[in-house]
Amino acid sequence: MWPVSKGATLRYPQPAGPDERRHRFEEVYAANHGPILGYVLRRTQSPHDAADVIAETFLTAWRRLDDVPSGDEARLWLYGAARRVLANHHRGERRRSVLSDRLGAELTGAYLMPEYTGELAEIAAAFRGLPEADRELLALIAWEGLDHGQVAAVLGCSRNAVRIRLHRARRRFADMLARHQALPQPTRAHITNGGPA
Amino acid sequence: MNPISRISPVSDADAARMVSDAALADLAERITSSPVRAAPARPRRWLFGIPLAAGLAAAVLIATSIGHPGAKVGPLGVGPASAQALVFEKHGRYIDVLVRNPVADPRRYRAEFKAHGLDITLSLVPASPSLVGTLVEMSNSGGADGRGLKTITAVGKCWTGGGGSICPVGVRVPVGFRGQADITFGRAARPGERYETTAPADARGEVMYGLHFHHRTVAAVLAVLRKRHVTVPVFHYTTAKGIGELLPPSRVPATWHVYDADPWAPHQVMLWVGPGRVEVMPAASPDSPVPSPSPTSSWPAS
Repeated sequence: MWPVSKGATLRYPQPAGPDERRHRFEEVYAANHGPILGYVLRRTQSPHDAADVIAETFLTAWRRLDDVPSGDEARLWLYGAARRVLANHHRGERRRSVLSDRLGAELTGAYLMPEYTGELAEIAAAFRGLPEADRELLALIAWEGLDHGQVAAVLGCSRNAVRIRLHRARRRFADMLARHQALPQPTRAHITNGGPA
Repeated sequence: MNPISRISPVSDADAARMVSDAALADLAERITSSPVRAAPARPRRWLFGIPLAAGLAAAVLIATSIGHPGAKVGPLGVGPASAQALVFEKHGRYIDVLVRNPVADPRRYRAEFKAHGLDITLSLVPASPSLVGTLVEMSNSGGADGRGLKTITAVGKCWTGGGGSICPVGVRVPVGFRGQADITFGRAARPGERYETTAPADARGEVMYGLHFHHRTVAAVLAVLRKRHVTVPVFHYTTAKGIGELLPPSRVPATWHVYDADPWAPHQVMLWVGPGRVEVMPAASPDSPVPSPSPTSSWPAS
């Protein structure tokens, strides 16, 4: 349940919880907002959605602060939380929150999803063609730079399961990439990148 | 180089540079001003949409949850206070758990799960009509012992916000489940009760389904809504500084335009409005142009 419905937060009185709790949250936030921004932006189409997911992720951390581990493990915990919020968003449940209005406005002005051409377009198409579970596994390693143990912590499974699933995911990705590379790509010869068609 | 690394849309460092310190501080301030609720479980694993033949549980949950939310507390008859809140049905290696009383005290659910040796916390939250009866959230922990819960889906039987038709409607618990889990379903709201989970107001099954309201005037949209007996108790307006405000109807000019809508409560929506025909997103605050560097030196480059 993600109780951040639009506008709801405006009604809340100032502030809740002792200073110690707030201090702990601020530490977690300061150490992890960059990685969480990156994680979420890499997985969303719209900067506004990204801002909402980021806000909900840290709101979850605030509400479950006692569950947030210390040190670098906090980041893994936050990835797991962000992943669940994203799953809700992908179901179409929008939680456009007033919490993230400002963040969303800034990201909207600053972030544009890259469009790929040539070989990178083939890689991107092959990657998009994979099942979600494969994509997440491969991305946690390639984009977040996690090792198998860290991936296991984010996904809540054993390291051995990660190893096996990763092996399969990589194989499926290679198959998919080969398929995309085998496709005829007539337009590439006629349209130069950035030039007139 | 890992080929997938080459299509990383943005690095952490670049992402962090896109937002000002002021915006980050603003978000932190708003979050820490929010109330803290008791939340017993660790979110370890998100299970969603695992296709499974829809068994009895799915059938019962669909039958009891999708229908005519509104005047009553859901289409499921709410039994007397003494009635059992949950029904447990063993099917081979799984137990299907059916919700008999969607508005029972959560402690009763917990007690009934406990009586079956299960450490499961069940919550039902008021949901906008198309999400009634669907799984809102599931998380579980406990390592190997915490795995094994499966969602029961009824593909095409309900529509979640963005048009998704996977429709998770139930949960199957393996016999001998020793982990801990939190499960949240959407239930029909009581009259006047605020939704806690919503689909877009114009999603199929919602009160504004089929209406064209984007960029129309407030007066025009209110007129259409009146015909559907839908009221607007509150409007959302984003100020030039990018701060969201809730406005009562008396403070919203009829000539303003509608950008978006969200279900608010039964037969009520919240409209996102502003003076211009097109929503203008405010730029970053000019008093906070300093980029904020990525705070984690240990973070590997993408």
